Parts: sequence; structure tokens; C-alpha cells
Amino acid sequence: MSLAGRDPWRFGVLFSQSGVTSAVERTQLQATILACETINRDGGLLGRPVELVTYDGRSEPPTFQKLAQRLLTEDNVRLIFGCYMSSTRKAVLPIVEACRGLLMYPTLYEGFEYSPNCIYTGSAPNQNSLPLACYLFKHYGPRVLFIGSDYVYPHESNRIMADLVRQAGGGVVGERYVPLNAQVDDFASTIRDIGHLRPNVIFSTIVGRATARFYEAYYAAGFDSGTMPIASLTTSEAEVAEMTPQAACGHISAAPFFSVLRTPAAMEFVTAFRARFGSEATVSAAAEAAYFQFGLVCQAIGKVGTDAPDLVRLALSGLEFEAPQGRVAIDAANNHTFLWPRVAKLDASGRFEIVWDPGVRVRPDPYCIDQDLDSWPAPAAQLVAMQV
Amino acid sequence: MAIEILRDLRGLRVEVMHPPDADGVSLIEHLQRIGCVATSIWPIQSVAAPAPDLIVLAVDHDTRDPLKQLCRSTQAAPPTVIAVVGYENPSTLQLVLEIGAHAVIERPIHPFGLLTQLVVARSLWLQQQENNAKTQKLERKLAGLQRLHRARLILMTNQKLSEDEAYKTIRRHAMTNRVALEDAATAIIHAHERVRQLARD
Repeated sequence: MSLAGRDPWRFGVLFSQSGVTSAVERTQLQATILACETINRDGGLLGRPVELVTYDGRSEPPTFQKLAQRLLTEDNVRLIFGCYMSSTRKAVLPIVEACRGLLMYPTLYEGFEYSPNCIYTGSAPNQNSLPLACYLFKHYGPRVLFIGSDYVYPHESNRIMADLVRQAGGGVVGERYVPLNAQVDDFASTIRDIGHLRPNVIFSTIVGRATARFYEAYYAAGFDSGTMPIASLTTSEAEVAEMTPQAACGHISAAPFFSVLRTPAAMEFVTAFRARFGSEATVSAAAEAAYFQFGLVCQAIGKVGTDAPDLVRLALSGLEFEAPQGRVAIDAANNHTFLWPRVAKLDASGRFEIVWDPGVRVRPDPYCIDQDLDSWPAPAAQLVAMQV
Repeated sequence: MAIEILRDLRGLRVEVMHPPDADGVSLIEHLQRIGCVATSIWPIQSVAAPAPDLIVLAVDHDTRDPLKQLCRSTQAAPPTVIAVVGYENPSTLQLVLEIGAHAVIERPIHPFGLLTQLVVARSLWLQQQENNAKTQKLERKLAGLQRLHRARLILMTNQKLSEDEAYKTIRRHAMTNRVALEDAATAIIHAHERVRQLARD
């Protein structure tokens, strides 16, 4: 069936193709393009082609805000797929709410938010901080040093982790923040502290380009990732691609998806992604979320026959979807997503290796205050025991 | 501080007295999302025991009488109160003050901001409880000191004791009878007044 000449659906896409977090956001943009092309190849959406209106948010909240306004008022799109940093989501949401649009947000974040005009398809803290903490305390110990980029996500993420560290009877030996676009020199004092304090784990909430600089500085200082790894929720395949394999080796990340996942759905997604964007293309959990959320929206539109945001949102509530990570679902109570947490370690060639896959789909709890090591979602000890 | 209050919000019993329209539904849903145990009653009426921890009240000119009645009924142990307003005219504001609102949210209800108002309201309410308890304790203490002072003056005048001797006498009296110093002072004041009365009769 030819889609040519048919009135297209038009969706807005808003990721950074430049600026500090462009590496990971580019993977989100590519995944969105891939999902869109797949839909069009398979006959479109209700017989109509899907067209993307794409802008570069440049990793700057005011730019994101201006472009969201343009998408919703001048380009007349009603659905926007986009945003990585919380600061950019916070800039976009008031506009989306005022224009009665819908934002599909494919990124992990710090929780404590609900907007009827937003669907959150990345991890909430109960879906990533908790499994990561379980793994770290069991294998390395609970003396932790925090380092993060200085904006909202790292501060909140560290507060949650500090609480878990206390529960495990450990301690936070230090908490440091560096500028978003931190350079190697910005890490000097932290590297010195790590040498003196010798924590069990460094918990990093550095985002974007500064990530590789920190891992390289850590490696240059001669620390052993085998006994004192850096653990992170924001170091994905995209950030790792910017560092040398030696600097990456031995460090830990938690996410619902890793490109090395060996399930048929995951492998099919990664293969299609690399066939489209090159064999070296990096695929991250953020990209996977961008990919499946596009499919979710198309499925919802298929049900209601319109892209009117109110109806799409209604159709998305409780909707189940076969994502590359496994079967996900939108929680009707809070617009967040049921996801499959996993923990992975980087090997000597800079590739992730899944080291813990508890095989449970975890319900999102964005307003969770007391993350409880013993009730996630079965006792953590039991989950750790399940590890091969 | 914020964390303790947020923790306290999980499982907090919230009674929403708001018409069951879109705003009312949105309020209940977001309270539940946050983790409160939210129920709703309409129209405004007295709350059954056990009283809720927090009441969300639609404040309108139409509801002024039941609002005032409700506030009178909870006077003994007032819960945290959040007002929902649609107007900012002086008579609405007067009502907001009369019901002792700890926070105000405006219509149309918007999820963003409700958590902040809950936290601020609970914090103010807790401070108020603490201050009330402190004030009561201080009032009792002050009244006790005044009685002690008066009893000492009585002893100094009538028994020609020095200030120090008067104090020791009251203390001895308290210890012998195993009562608080203030109660011993009260007994002396009563005895003195009784004697004066008899003399007058």
C-alpha cells in the first residue's frame, strides 16, 4: 500500500543534537526516527504516513522551551517526543500543559512529578537506584562517595542513595558536585579525596560529556575498578563510547535495557538500529525507551483513531507493549512505566555485561520516599541470591 | 525536615470536602498518587471519628455556614486544613482565615504544586501543635510561679519570715505532703484566704 499523497500524522521531536548531553540524546533521536520509519515501512498509522518535525534543543532549557512553543503553536503538532535532562523537561512541560499537548519523556529521572500532559517511560528511582544499591552493597560494600553534575537530578538521586546507604549500615564518605560541562581539572580534588577516603564505591550522577572525563581521570589516577568501581545510572553506552575501554572497564550501571541484552526482541532492536545508523552506532536504555514509547503512542492512536492528546493519554493508560527490554505497561495511576531493572558491568573492551537480571517487572512509584532495601519488590536478599 | 514531612504524607488520612466535579476527582487522584489515604465527602459536614489528619475544604460563599460549623466541631483537636478557592475576593479570604487554613490551592486544580502545599501545611500545623503545647506548658509554669510568689509574700508578711525562710517553709511543706511546690503554694494561699474570710465574718 502506498502512503504517498496521504495526509501525514505530524509529531514533534525535541532532543539535543549539540551541547553537553547530545551524545545520549542523539541515540534517543535515532531511536525515534527508527521507530517512525518502521511504522511507515509497515503501512503507516491507520493508513497514513507519520512525519517527524525535529528540532535541536542544544542542551539548553530556554531553547527547549522556545522550540516546544514553536512545535505546538506554529507547527501545530500535538504530541512531542523528547527531553533528557530534568531541567529541559521542566522548561517544556508548562508549555505542553498550556497548549494541551502531550510530552512523551523517555529518560530516567528523580521522580516527584506527575503531569496529566506527560508520559514518563524511563526509570523512576525505585526502578533503578534500589536494584543498583542492592547489587553494590552485596558485592563491594556500603561506604560510598558521591559525585554528580550540579543540577536537580544528581542532588535528588544522591539523597535517595544516601538513604539506602544508611539502611545498609554504611556511610557517605563525601559528596561533590561539578559543573555540567566539567573539565578534567574539575575532578582533581575529588580524585585526591578518593585516594584518601578509599570508599567501596563511587556513585556518579555526572551526566553527558563530563562522564568520560571523570572515568578517564579515575583511570589515570591508577584506582582499581575491581575493588572500588564507579557506579552510575547515567553512564550508558552513549557516555561509554566517549571513553577508552581501559577507563570504562569494571564500572557498573543499572538500567532496564542494555544493548547486550540477549532476548530476541532486544537483539532485533539493536540489529535494526545498527543497520540504520551504522555498525558502530551506540544504543542506550534512553534510546530503547524512545523507541518503545513511539510504538506505544502509535498503538494508542490506532485504538482511538486520532492524535488528540486527551484521547491518546486515555488510550495509553494501562496499555501493555512488547518493548525490547520486555513487556512494559503504562501505570494508569501515575503515567509512569512498569520496567525491568537490570545491572551491568563494563568489560575490558568497554562493553556492558549483564551481571544481575532479577527477572521482575517493577511498578513505578514516583513519589516513593522510603526506598526499602528489604522490599524491592521481593526481599532484596532473595533477589541477589537468584543471580547466576 | 522536608523528608520527615514527606514520609508522614504516605498513609496520611485526608478527607476531601469538595464537589465531585473534575477538580474534585483530580484532587483525590493526585493525593492518592502522592501516597495519602484520601476519601471524599460532599456536602461539607462534621467528620466522624477518628478525625482525619488533614481536611481539604472547598471554600465558597455557598458553603460558609457548614464550614463554620465544621470548624467549631473540630476545635478541640483541629486537623491540618487546606482551602480550595475559586475567588480572591475579601469575603472568600475572610473565610479562609476563619477556617484556619494552613495552605491554599486554587481552582482549576493542577497536580504540580499540590505536594508543596501539603508539605507547607503539614509543617505549619506541626509547628502550631508544638507551639500550642509549649504555650500551655509555659502558662502552667507561669501561673505556678505567680502562686509561689504570692505564698511567699503571705508567709513573709504574716509570719515575719525572710524571703529565703519563706521559700524553705513552702518547700518543706511540699516535701512533707509529697506535692509539687506550686500545689504547696496554692494550699498556703487558700489557707490564708480562708483565715481572712473567717476574720471578716
